[in-house]
Amino acid sequence: MIELLSNTSHVHLLLNHVPTTAFVVALALYVVALFNGNDVLKKIGLAMFFFIAAVTLATYTSGSAAEAWLRGTGPKSELPPNVISAAIHEHEDAALWATVLMELTGFFSWLGLWQWKSVRRLPAWNTPLVLVLAVLSFVTMSRAAFLGGHIHHIEIRPDVVERHKACEALLDAETKHPGSVPNAPENCPWQAAVDDVRASAEGGEAGDAGMPNMARRVGDFVIGHTWMWPTLETLHFVGLCMLFTVVLIVNLRLLGLLKIVPVPAVYQMLPIGMLGFAVNLVTGMLFFIGIPSQYNGNPVFYWKVVFILLGGLNVMYFMLVDYAWRTESGRDVSAGPKIAAASAIVIWVCVLYCGHMLPFIGNAF
Amino acid sequence: MMDLLQSIESSGFSQWVKQSGSLWAFPGILLAHTYGMAVLVGIIAGIDLRILGLMPAVPLAPLRRLMPLVWVAFWVNAVTGTMLLAADATSKMRNLDFGIKMAFIVLAVITQRVIQKRVFGDPDLDRQPFSSNAKMLAVASLVCWLGAITAGRLLAYVGNPGGL
Repeated sequence: MIELLSNTSHVHLLLNHVPTTAFVVALALYVVALFNGNDVLKKIGLAMFFFIAAVTLATYTSGSAAEAWLRGTGPKSELPPNVISAAIHEHEDAALWATVLMELTGFFSWLGLWQWKSVRRLPAWNTPLVLVLAVLSFVTMSRAAFLGGHIHHIEIRPDVVERHKACEALLDAETKHPGSVPNAPENCPWQAAVDDVRASAEGGEAGDAGMPNMARRVGDFVIGHTWMWPTLETLHFVGLCMLFTVVLIVNLRLLGLLKIVPVPAVYQMLPIGMLGFAVNLVTGMLFFIGIPSQYNGNPVFYWKVVFILLGGLNVMYFMLVDYAWRTESGRDVSAGPKIAAASAIVIWVCVLYCGHMLPFIGNAF
Repeated sequence: MMDLLQSIESSGFSQWVKQSGSLWAFPGILLAHTYGMAVLVGIIAGIDLRILGLMPAVPLAPLRRLMPLVWVAFWVNAVTGTMLLAADATSKMRNLDFGIKMAFIVLAVITQRVIQKRVFGDPDLDRQPFSSNAKMLAVASLVCWLGAITAGRLLAYVGNPGGL
């Protein structure tokens, strides 16, 4: 099991079911809740959107590691014979769009849940916005999944199918009227069609096949400007301060420090923390897209993503536990939220540790 | 002056920080500096934003109890910062960006002392809205800490980066 999870390709094949299959369940739940006017179901739907958005980060980053695994690390290593480079790049771009939409869905789902508790009702704009974003996420993610299937099931890739069909047509004509087709193939293996597509892609390297895909163009923009990386790093540190302080103050209050402050008051701080996380998510993703090789296969990065997922679970717990947030001044919260508060501090200390150690244990800068 | 910096930089401690390769040396010290920054700037910025009108339900007076934590973080960073400076004294002391960072920190600390006296020392704290003076102080504090973080982060890129 550990052996399997240490190969990020397996992890990607496992995780890719979450933004697709699990998301369908969440979307169905949400739509049913809207029709029934069932608030509990709706809250669960929003919480699921939020957590799936967190898992999507792991899915995206593990996908890049899976690509690195497929390509190999040696100077002469190449893709397996049945994989077309363009298939990977199309999947990557589709996944990037889907991930962006999924993160937006997650953010506004969280915001909706937050407002629900603080203003006691959901603002009118949240429901349609989340619904539209969720549907768009679903469509783009389905496309990413569909294109992902083309990487290993090359026999369903349209250009390969087309070549295979053409070959079979020739074979068919030759069988019906022997001698009618010059140089007729004897048989039509799929691999021949794949090799054909690969050869034509490489032949056109100077043309459009040499054009980098969207993810790579974004990455080139990040590393192509000297001011870009330092700026993103600075923003990443500002976001870190925002997130860390909210984690500290809110959870220390839940643990019983500053008991004089009512819990509903510190609840107002949460959007600042989430905004800090959003800043770090965007800047962090740009680092990742800029130089994926710094993070693929880097054990500290792997653990950082694991801890972020745990952080997502932790937030989801707090979003669904209403009573703890109603604790008045001078009162203690019960044991459950206290344990969650303590783990939140540990989790985010670990995330910061892993991020900090990326250059020292791994090879990132 | 340069001789002094040179001898600090070639001391056994500085060499250990810079070249031992131990995770406790440069990475560990910088890690403590980062945690210190998160606590110090985070809590101060939280208080500043409260003064500026965000999170209106949070009473400000009890937050004063977080100040010891803030000062612990400040001294952690003063000590770890000095260690990092010792490891790279000659180039950091000639780096304009380092001077800018120090200036921002001095201004930020002065602002913080004034906020503590004027805002937290106000007997009517939490009973009436903040004066525009208090708000100006909060803005100044945010700007100074933001400047310090930016200048600090840029130390890794401008001048003659000794480490990362």
